[in-house]
Amino acid sequence: MNVSLKWLKTYIDFDFSPEELADRLTMLGIEVDSIKHLGAGLEGVVVGKVVSISPHPNADKLIRCQVDIGDENNLQIVCGAPNVYQGMFAPVATIGTELPTGIIIKRAKLRGEESHGMLCSEKELAISDEASGLMELSSNLSVGMPLTEALGLNDVILELEITPNRSDCLSMLGVAREIRAETGNTINYPEVALIASDIKKDTDIREITSVTIADPDLCPRYAARVIQNVQVTESPTWLKQRLESVGIGAINNIVDITNFVLMEYGQPLHAFDYHKLGENRIVVRRAMENETITTLDEVERKLNPNMLVIADAEKPVALAGVMGGYESEITETTKSVLLESANFHPASIRSTSKEHGLNTEASYRFERGVDPEVVISALDRAAQLIVEIAGGTICKGVVDVYPGRKKPLKIRLRKDRVNFILGTSIEVEEIEQTLSRLGFRIETNQTEVDNFDITVPSFRLDITREIDLIEEIARVHGYDNIPTTLPKGDIPIPPLNKHEKVRKCIRNFLLSSGMMEAVNYSFIHPNCFEKIRLNDDHPLCEATKLQNPLSPEMSILRTTLIPSLLANAQHNHNHQINSIALFELSSVFINGMEPYRVAGILAGEIGGGVYGNPYRPPDFFDIKGIAEGILEVCGIHGYELKQTEEPTYHPGRNGEVVLGETQIGIIGEVHPGVLENYELPFKAYLFDFDIEKITDAADFTKRFEPIPIYPSIQRDLAIVVDQELKSDMPMDIINTTGGEWIESIRLFDVYEGNQVPDGKKSLAYTITYHSATETLTDKAVNDRHDKIVQRLNKELGAELRM
Amino acid sequence: MKTELETIQTEVLEQLKEVASPDDLETLRITYFGSKGKLKDIMKGMGKLSEEERPIVGKFANDVQATLTDAFEKTKKELESQKQRQQLKGEVIDITLPGRKPAYGKAHPVIQTLERIENIFTQMGFQTVTGPEIETEHFNFDALNTPPDHPARDLHDTFYLTDGQLLRTHNSPVQIRVMESQKPPLRIIVPGKAYRVDYDISHTPMFHQVEGLLVDKHVTFSELKGVLVSFARQMFGDQTQMRFRPHFFPFTEPSAEVDISCTVCQGAGCRTCGYTGWVEILGAGSVDPEVFKAVNYDPEKITGFAFGMGVERIANLQFRIPDIRTFYENDLRFLKQF
Repeated sequence: MNVSLKWLKTYIDFDFSPEELADRLTMLGIEVDSIKHLGAGLEGVVVGKVVSISPHPNADKLIRCQVDIGDENNLQIVCGAPNVYQGMFAPVATIGTELPTGIIIKRAKLRGEESHGMLCSEKELAISDEASGLMELSSNLSVGMPLTEALGLNDVILELEITPNRSDCLSMLGVAREIRAETGNTINYPEVALIASDIKKDTDIREITSVTIADPDLCPRYAARVIQNVQVTESPTWLKQRLESVGIGAINNIVDITNFVLMEYGQPLHAFDYHKLGENRIVVRRAMENETITTLDEVERKLNPNMLVIADAEKPVALAGVMGGYESEITETTKSVLLESANFHPASIRSTSKEHGLNTEASYRFERGVDPEVVISALDRAAQLIVEIAGGTICKGVVDVYPGRKKPLKIRLRKDRVNFILGTSIEVEEIEQTLSRLGFRIETNQTEVDNFDITVPSFRLDITREIDLIEEIARVHGYDNIPTTLPKGDIPIPPLNKHEKVRKCIRNFLLSSGMMEAVNYSFIHPNCFEKIRLNDDHPLCEATKLQNPLSPEMSILRTTLIPSLLANAQHNHNHQINSIALFELSSVFINGMEPYRVAGILAGEIGGGVYGNPYRPPDFFDIKGIAEGILEVCGIHGYELKQTEEPTYHPGRNGEVVLGETQIGIIGEVHPGVLENYELPFKAYLFDFDIEKITDAADFTKRFEPIPIYPSIQRDLAIVVDQELKSDMPMDIINTTGGEWIESIRLFDVYEGNQVPDGKKSLAYTITYHSATETLTDKAVNDRHDKIVQRLNKELGAELRM
Repeated sequence: MKTELETIQTEVLEQLKEVASPDDLETLRITYFGSKGKLKDIMKGMGKLSEEERPIVGKFANDVQATLTDAFEKTKKELESQKQRQQLKGEVIDITLPGRKPAYGKAHPVIQTLERIENIFTQMGFQTVTGPEIETEHFNFDALNTPPDHPARDLHDTFYLTDGQLLRTHNSPVQIRVMESQKPPLRIIVPGKAYRVDYDISHTPMFHQVEGLLVDKHVTFSELKGVLVSFARQMFGDQTQMRFRPHFFPFTEPSAEVDISCTVCQGAGCRTCGYTGWVEILGAGSVDPEVFKAVNYDPEKITGFAFGMGVERIANLQFRIPDIRTFYENDLRFLKQF
């Protein structure tokens, strides 16, 4: 909401500069978003009258003007505006002025003719974008007057951000009340006293109209007055300027008055053309099915029984609390006005306004709640202004239907509770002063010392409990004046969180192994599943849809991290980055569960890409190594790697990691079809683990094993076996045959080629023998080694390679 | 004989200066000290000396021998180190060639920030808990004192799923879940993702929050201030000023928005802080009694405070990324900067 300080000062006095006021309001909880000095930069601009004009001797498009700015001598100003004429009143920027647009006015010669200032357009003054000609001013103004004064621009506008609970601050008087709380200064309420001579005694309003509230649950109060014989014209300058200063456009005097009072009291008003109301009466009711109304914005709107309307005897004439009807609007021919001042139920206004996408000054206030007790003051204030400005007379009496009248609310407030909650030592006097300045009535409780009975003013709809009063005291006391202390309570003992530990261990391992951490949106495009070659019946395709997605790209919740990582690889490749090592650790959304997964991608090239550390393409065993590392840091051993038919992966170059019966992850080379879908010209490798399953299997217990005291003995073993033989089979035999003496087995070479027969390959191992109880002799080791060789030969047909 | 010895000494010391290699040194050694060396020759004359002269000349001869041995030793060492210098000279490498840096990854900048926040609160005794991102209206709004027609719901543009489910718009629902299942005292923080329908240079539809909750028999607003001031000093530096402004949240009362002195201009006023000297970093307040009622705590006996902060916003106070959406492109040129 915009507040004009000039306007605000008519209700309360204060000595603060605009910046100081903004700061005080902000610290009271009324945040000031901006401070706008309206006339800034226009200090040197005055009202001028073009006394005479003559052609420029050297330029067709320029005109010489003699301009009166109230000085002894007229100024000669050369100007090129097409709309200049003799007798015109226009703004003159005098020599030395720096306009808001940055132009500095200097004495100048334009094509040989002296020019002592500048006649300005609205754009040059930064008032609007209008640049087609000079800004024309009213000829009623006196020449030489500062333009800011003439246009009411000697004002400062504060833009306030009012929180949803503080609808009472959506008015000048509401803001004035906050200043009163801060300063203790008194508020000058507008004098609303209908002058007897303005009232038409022979016409009683009750004889010419009536108000029926058919649905009192949605309309607690409806009041009306009728003003006859008004003249609808343009508003006087002061009124237009007031409204314009807070960003409301002037329409005509009647409508402008209702808006003025809205801004003054926060009470939305509506003026109907009395003669256009069927049977000249008002019925407040729910709309009927299929009824329609054309609102002031000339849009025909369909209504339904959830919407409250103001109707006449036949049809809706206004969307209650949101917008008036087009047919009954005030026009130049309007003679009599029925003025509405009413109160509506917030939720009903909110849903109607939402359904029609209509957010108006009125609906904004009603949906947050308006003081039902201000209805009559605002109505009378507007009626009085109408008579003053638009003439006419007010019919005797007021219609005031008030089915929703409520008793003022009383709340018990305990001083001790205030200080208990805040951690302060605020005294009784401060509490009394704060609350009374905010408009609360305070009664000291006779039997309980330091306890009060507080009556809440009708405009404070947000205050219903003791805690609400405590907040009022806190904010006026100043949050900055509340002490800063540390919690005194016990620190609870947190339970062990294995899941968190698993996530941290894996993440640290991946970071230390050179992978960069990615974070992707939880949303993906539904076509992602097709892109990673999943059939529609694949369980991962059952994804949750968003009802209101931002775009198809972000319309379902991901069930897998893989499409995101592939898209990241694509993005990077498209930007010429081809050294891709990324991982993500996040929950996914599967069947109402949110299991965590960790997945990663290696693609393009790995290595430093420098002399001595050249790039090379990653292969399956790079990703396998990372997977082994993940499992190792979680203390998981004894798993198997089994080839799968998961369609995202190369059928011959993938494996699921299986522990017992459980699949805990999958690794592999990306299927060429998937690479094509992501436009990747190089191979890519993925790992994808289930953090939940890893957590179940993880074992972080660590025990000391004695460091060997007896020396170990190494033997190399190279065997030639069938090409198809998996390398873990000889490993198994070595392990079981070597028994307790095997310290480690390292496969250091795999060779196929000239040196071995076709269909065969050579595997070379380094076996380290060691005993925990004795120093092994060469002979003992040789015996054991020979046994291994024999078994390899017998069971796998392995030949020693010399 | 003494004169002869003196001559030899001068001669040898003179020649040692000329020696250029270990071989020369050895030749010289043999010439003078060898079994047929010149020194031996002279020493043969000892026998011809008188009783009185013998000890005097003998001592002199020993001195000469010692001096020369030292000189030989010194020359030998010099020659050796000269040789090593020569060798090392030939082993010069180009130290400007690139280092072989072990590959190391970097945490995502948002997660880095999240972890820093988490660590500070962990040190203050807060326990990390998590909760589901798919939530119900009950946990996301109703139990947090935000009934369906509350205007505060307008501030949360919610992503809806089917069956009245939604993506949580903040991490506050986890407060409710924890309070429903545990008894005070509680000190928890809830790091994680939240979602709102928003997509522009300062908003992403998915973002990270850290929510905090402290509940006990007597928790004051002054303690909320203490915890947050202590957080801000550790997060943003010892000199950081903090400002608490009254605000409105349905689930806290009294509520505050909390600003810190601008990290760019230290409060002097600049573009980052909109020339106010302050930047908003979080919302906080004492837990509203209605929230306690929703989880069956007695608000007369239990008090507490809660706070919530946006991680991207805090991250960006440091990183100053013009378009916050860049965080989620996972461009490696971007990720490597942090």
